[in-house]
Amino acid sequence: MHPGRQLAVLGFIFVVLYLLVFFAGGASGSFTDRLHPKLGLDLVGGTQATYIASVQGGQVPSKESMEQARDIIDQRVNALGVSEAEVVIQGDRNIVVSLAGKADDQLKDLSQAAQMRFRLVIGATGDVSTVALNPPTATPSAAASGSAKPSTSAKPSTGASAPAVSSSASTGGQGGGEVVKAPTPTPTPSASASASAPAAPPASADEKALLAEVQKKVGTAAWAAASKLTAPVDLSTDPTAGKPYAPFAKLSGDEVNVLTPQMQMYVPTIGCTQLDARPNGAIDAVGKQVVACYNGGKILMDQAKVVGDDISKASPQLDQQNGQWVVSLDFKSEGSTKWAALTRQAFEATSDAPCYTAATAMYGSIEHCAVAVVLDKSVISAPQIQGVLTGTSQITGQFNASSSKELADQLNFGALPVTFSSGPAQTVSATLGTQQLQAGLIAAAIGMGLVAIYAFFYYRLLGSVIFLSLLLSGLLTFGALVFLGRTVGFTLTLAGIAGFIVSLGVAADSFVIYFERLKDEIHEGRSPRSAVPRAWARARRTIISANTITILAAVVLYIVSVGAVQGFAFALGVATVLDLVVVFLFRHPIMTMFASTKAFLSPRVSGLGRVLRRAPTDVKEA
Amino acid sequence: MASQGLAARLYAGEANVNIIGRRKLWFAIAAVLVVISIASIAIRGFHLGIEFAGGTSFSVPATTGSTTYTQDEVSDAVERAIKSVDPNAEVVSSQTLGSTGGGGDTYTVRASTLTAAQAEQAKTALVTDLKLDATKVSDDQVSAAWGGQVTRQALLGLIIFLIVVMIYLIIRFEWRMAAAAVSSLLLDLIFTAGVYSLVGFEVTPSTVVGFLTILGYSLYDVVVVFDKVQENTRGITASSIRTYNEATNLAVNQTLMRSINTGLVALLPVGGLLFIGAGLLGAGTLKDLGLVLFVGMGFGVLASIMFAAPLLTVFKDREPKIKAHTARVLARRASAKSGDVARGERTGGRSSNMAESDEAPALASSAPRPGARPTAKRTSGGSNTNRGPGNRPGGKRR
Repeated sequence: MHPGRQLAVLGFIFVVLYLLVFFAGGASGSFTDRLHPKLGLDLVGGTQATYIASVQGGQVPSKESMEQARDIIDQRVNALGVSEAEVVIQGDRNIVVSLAGKADDQLKDLSQAAQMRFRLVIGATGDVSTVALNPPTATPSAAASGSAKPSTSAKPSTGASAPAVSSSASTGGQGGGEVVKAPTPTPTPSASASASAPAAPPASADEKALLAEVQKKVGTAAWAAASKLTAPVDLSTDPTAGKPYAPFAKLSGDEVNVLTPQMQMYVPTIGCTQLDARPNGAIDAVGKQVVACYNGGKILMDQAKVVGDDISKASPQLDQQNGQWVVSLDFKSEGSTKWAALTRQAFEATSDAPCYTAATAMYGSIEHCAVAVVLDKSVISAPQIQGVLTGTSQITGQFNASSSKELADQLNFGALPVTFSSGPAQTVSATLGTQQLQAGLIAAAIGMGLVAIYAFFYYRLLGSVIFLSLLLSGLLTFGALVFLGRTVGFTLTLAGIAGFIVSLGVAADSFVIYFERLKDEIHEGRSPRSAVPRAWARARRTIISANTITILAAVVLYIVSVGAVQGFAFALGVATVLDLVVVFLFRHPIMTMFASTKAFLSPRVSGLGRVLRRAPTDVKEA
Repeated sequence: MASQGLAARLYAGEANVNIIGRRKLWFAIAAVLVVISIASIAIRGFHLGIEFAGGTSFSVPATTGSTTYTQDEVSDAVERAIKSVDPNAEVVSSQTLGSTGGGGDTYTVRASTLTAAQAEQAKTALVTDLKLDATKVSDDQVSAAWGGQVTRQALLGLIIFLIVVMIYLIIRFEWRMAAAAVSSLLLDLIFTAGVYSLVGFEVTPSTVVGFLTILGYSLYDVVVVFDKVQENTRGITASSIRTYNEATNLAVNQTLMRSINTGLVALLPVGGLLFIGAGLLGAGTLKDLGLVLFVGMGFGVLASIMFAAPLLTVFKDREPKIKAHTARVLARRASAKSGDVARGERTGGRSSNMAESDEAPALASSAPRPGARPTAKRTSGGSNTNRGPGNRPGGKRR
């Protein structure tokens, strides 16, 4: 390639990079604001948040699970390894996360447990708590809303959309009741029979005590009535049927949590507000049936047959068909078997299965059962299963680009073994501060100065090529750092700055290889003009080999490692690629141009002079 | 020729230092260093920083009653307090925590690990010292920020990298060179780690990052040397002029200046870091990084010359083709010794410049050889100069 063209390519890269720096990736503020790389916690301080592990069964979480939680939170906050976050365990049960800059948003959702469960929906009823407590005085209105129901449920789309609490909640309840009765009256009892068997929880002492308290609070009459329930109380036939259960409406989330799933489900006065107020991790138990709210109605779900650990990889995807963001899941081999079994159960369920009844209650006319996708306390979605799924599956829900990515990340990094509540975010000052930053920059200047002096001393005019390309590397690196800081959150700590200084020195190495080669060629009696391309061809091989190794190191470490090491690998890769760009697009063409000038041939100005002089001396001696 | 100093000969790539010949010496030194390093790592271990080992954190309100302390005052007071409990303890960092909800700032001072009892004592000392409200001051054990997982994954990455780079070097060169290069890298890593353990420098995340930088750099040096070796030994078995070991020694000599230059150029900025970090600031990130890089890179240059290349010749000596070739060259030389007097003289004259210790059999022959190449070159150089002077600057100057 013509040297001019290579320089033009370099110029193009340079212009594009700085256009990106000034105008892309959310650039804002004044001219100088746009030129700031993202500086780390040690240099400019940042934001700190404390997450407190909840004590379960009176026990502080074990050291191991805290350490595991620390690792997972570290990965969540530092998914790319470049944000230089600090995550430490403080005391027994606090995890303190510090991030550079203003980062309240990033710190918000870090402590989410992200326990994912896939559960067959085996019961559905409306949230009728309001109606159950305040039975409508005018019976006709209830009847009217009741008659409205079938038409709604005929259209699955409307049926699925969240109904408003009061009016349509009653219709939901009624709808469920009606369907249960109409086809076969037997399934409901059989459902609860099968449900109660695995549901006997080995309650801890604390829970037993709380349960006793709850019994006292609701009164024996209400408790006895609730214990007898095996199906949702049908308020459509008797609007006052909810009366006996009124005391349950006063229970707190914690208290509701100790009730059996059947009670939570069938007692009409327990509403979604209470269910949502249950502590974190309330419906995590894999081997238990659980109740949660979905689209404003209560659903009873079977044991979790598939869990988050069965997922091998999750990734956010934009569904091309409807423009909706979804999370695509790949299962591990064992997980895939479980998932196929679960979807088969849902797909092949006959109309007498409890899940069929439940799905009908949720969606109106259906053909298959629904499987709920549960994340922590909330049901993300509960789609009907349209076939036996073995391979990649998708979770749909109300996702946007960032929330789908967040969920995918959480699934990939694993669930927290401990549940946390988050404390307030605080600002935190720099540990090193600007004095150290200045020292770092002075060190950079000294280092570069020494390299330049050495280059000029040793290679004379060729030193100016080294100097110019160091300058160019510096500018390219700086531009890349600013741009990466804004787009992927690449954060520069003092160590990072030092690393880049060193990488500049290492980049100068490739010059030495080239120039020494050049010297060899001239030593062997070639004219500078013919020596340049020959030396280049040979040096190029060495430089490419050496840089390939560095890039291998960067890629392997980036893929395998986590945290600070991953960040280092990223920086190493960036520095090496930039080095190659400068070597190929600047130094080589410049040298080609140099070789055809007079100055290059003068021993005084080019560092090759002594070699040129030596040849005659040798002759004399020989 | 004798008037020319070592520097000038280095510059021209004709230092003729017998490196391969003394390989037993280098291996002995390397073995001693490895043994010392591993012993030190095994016995003394590393002085791990708070990021690895965890520590104790003291939280002190900025304002107590009417007194407001500065961050430095509190930090110094904590330092005094922990020193009174454990003379080896030290303050690692101090930060100001600003509450967004009002209520005044808090200082967080992190110190090296103390036992619960020590921390309690230190806290009492601190409270008395600054006349604080004991209930407002808290001490906590802080875990390592650098989780065990980071180390595990980094080690896994290191192993995978070594395998991948081994494969690359086998494709690019051959397995013997790959083995020699990776051994040299391992030597460099073990030695650097050994220095840390032995001297008791603190290991911080910056140190680890610096340590990983050596990975690429150390191999970079070896590749430069091996590239030249490969060039010099291409088709060597077709001629009987020099043995493999001699050709390697020549390559090492030719790349000596290159190695010194690349080493210097890379070490200059590191020196800058070290000077500023250790000299002006006393401690911290810059010093940690500068130190590990200085040791690792400096030793990497040495290892590529004195260990990688000699090790390669050891491997090569065992290759049947090279073994037969070496024997052939030596036999031919022995028979030519009586006949070719002129050539013997010339090489003999040069060999006085060289180091004399040539115990290894290969070396007995290598002594005359390094001189041989410049000789041959001189002839060709001479012919060049004969036609050259007119258009060559060198000629003009004369």
